[in-house]
Amino acid sequence: MNKLVLAAILMFSTGAFADGSDAPAPTPTALEQQCRDALNTDPAFKTAIANKLGIQLDVETLKVHQAADAQVKMNERHVVYAYAAMWIVAALFVIFLFMRQQALKREIATLRKDLEAAAK
Amino acid sequence: MKKLVPILCILAAFGIAVSLYEIFFVTPIEVNIDSNGRLNMSSLFFNYKIMFFHVAHAFWLFCAVFVAGISSAFYIKTQNVKWDDIASAAVDVSVAFGAVVLLTGSIWARAAWGVWWHWEPRLTMSLLLWIVLVGYVLVRRFAGPSGDRIAAGMAIFGMIGVPFIYVLVGSDSHPNSGANGVVAKLPPEMRGAFWLSVASFLLWFLALMLTRLESTRAERELRELRERALDLGVL
Repeated sequence: MNKLVLAAILMFSTGAFADGSDAPAPTPTALEQQCRDALNTDPAFKTAIANKLGIQLDVETLKVHQAADAQVKMNERHVVYAYAAMWIVAALFVIFLFMRQQALKREIATLRKDLEAAAK
Repeated sequence: MKKLVPILCILAAFGIAVSLYEIFFVTPIEVNIDSNGRLNMSSLFFNYKIMFFHVAHAFWLFCAVFVAGISSAFYIKTQNVKWDDIASAAVDVSVAFGAVVLLTGSIWARAAWGVWWHWEPRLTMSLLLWIVLVGYVLVRRFAGPSGDRIAAGMAIFGMIGVPFIYVLVGSDSHPNSGANGVVAKLPPEMRGAFWLSVASFLLWFLALMLTRLESTRAERELRELRERALDLGVL
């Protein structure tokens, strides 16, 4: 009996292997469909894959954000320098204008007095 | 004119304060996304904020150089000292604005390209224009009686250089200017802050120009008083 069962298994398995080797290779779209079907039949597997992909995407996004953050932080210094330079030049120019005008006023007033005195 | 200067200063201060708020709290950081949807690390990011005041100063620098050049041409033609005073005041203000343009541009270059200075056409010509303007100031101060006319020639020479810097000269790395330039292509959310800063610095430019014009006239009055004093033997 055992020999009969063994012979039957061997016969069927051989037939199965023969069927598999003779069947045409599935096209990528068929593979894709097969994968989708497999995912849809097992909700837990589907969730696990989605979570895995989600984590990988977050790591990528995080890397990009960190790089941008470093770039922004590095540039903060230059923006501060640029605005400081602008205000320093403006302040120096205003001080120069003010001092020049005061000196001119003093000199004009002194000369006028001297000229008036000389005219008398 | 004396009453106009404080009004211009107050309006300019208000405009600059509002534009600073807009620049740092409203306008976004400049981020360049490539065709694959990935962040391009050549994006200007935060240092884009330098552009708002750097370009505004460059606008009024070029305007001041034009005012000086045209006034000098009128002075040479008419010999009316009124034009010479205007040209002198405009050049003094343009030296200050030019210094701001060169300094902020250099700092921006360091942030964007990693170098303080790059000898490319537009930057080199901007530096040469500034040297011509400084030369004008030095000639007026040290060249004696004929200095006014030599300086007027230099102002006209400087004015001719402006179109080369702004439009005609190609640029290797400096952002483009003119019709296809960075200003013409500003995103809508940046335009308000940019034009507000340009308008505010126009008021600031006018306030400085009028103040300097007043002291230029005072300098002329002083020269005339000295001549009279020399004639009378007071000096």
